Amino acid sequence: MSGGESLRESAVFNLGGAITMIVDDSPFSLTLTSNALTGFGIRPAFACGTGTQAKKLLTDKPIDLLVVDTDMPDIDGFELVRWLRRSGPNPNAFTPVIMTASHIRRGRVAEARDCGANFVVTKPFSPAMLLERILWVARGSRPFLEVGDYLGPDRRFRHSGYEGVERRVDMIRKAKGMESLAL
Amino acid sequence: MTVITHNQRKSRLSEMLDRPGGVSVGVALAQARANLDALQDQARAIIADNIAVLLAKPEPGLIEPMRLDLAYSASSQIIDAASPFAMDDLCTAAKGLCDLLDAAPRQGGFDWRIATVHAQAMKVLLSLPPEEQAARSAILTNLHEVLRKKLPSSDQSAT
Repeated sequence: MSGGESLRESAVFNLGGAITMIVDDSPFSLTLTSNALTGFGIRPAFACGTGTQAKKLLTDKPIDLLVVDTDMPDIDGFELVRWLRRSGPNPNAFTPVIMTASHIRRGRVAEARDCGANFVVTKPFSPAMLLERILWVARGSRPFLEVGDYLGPDRRFRHSGYEGVERRVDMIRKAKGMESLAL
Repeated sequence: MTVITHNQRKSRLSEMLDRPGGVSVGVALAQARANLDALQDQARAIIADNIAVLLAKPEPGLIEPMRLDLAYSASSQIIDAASPFAMDDLCTAAKGLCDLLDAAPRQGGFDWRIATVHAQAMKVLLSLPPEEQAARSAILTNLHEVLRKKLPSSDQSAT
């Protein structure tokens, strides 16, 4: 999916009741994101200028969708999402997160991949692309995985078969279960 | 490596998506576009302000890492403001400058004329009418050439 071209114009969705939080240190970017979401029928409930403010609200209030900027001076987006994913039993730990970035520094690409966000969208992006991502995460059924330091949605988008020797314990167990059923 | 799969409840977002009512994608996008268009003049002013920051003489005593961060922040804010208004050429120019500033040595040695060239190019891009596509392409080609010479190919995102 790219550029929002896979959206069908006549498709109807209802996210009017979504409790949404936007986090961005730039007041203008907050307004831009908020105006786009309002156009989609999503009224942002919380607009936070700092990660600290967002963290506090995320502990207290249920949030259905989090749109967060990567680059912020106090707690940046990566740190905020990493904290959120590990904040269980907080119900927001599994909240869909879309991160927006104007530019990601070379040294932070791995953090972007590993923080646990559902999507990292780099600018420039159109309202169509933002809506496409929101609908995608809303419909998303990617399981949450904990692998080493990573906790977040499954990062694998390709599910084509693996040709090599199966070493994943759960898959081996599953295969053995299928074999015993066949017997 | 151990993989733990967490049983995840269906998100509230997914539960409410198909409820009666709502809005069509076409209407949603038109509304969002109209809401954003109202901010275009403000966006252009922010872009102009940040170009001015890039062109300004540095404060005396401003150390190199802070100067790099200041310029990086100005360039990022140009991307933020230009992004929703299809000013893709400005975004490309600003992204190239972000790449260069990010790769610059923190202890000094960055050729600041590169930032000036990018800022002047962005100033022209902002002032050019949309139909001047050839001029826009020529500016971006020149900036890309600077990027190609100054950055290893693996670091180039603004292509």
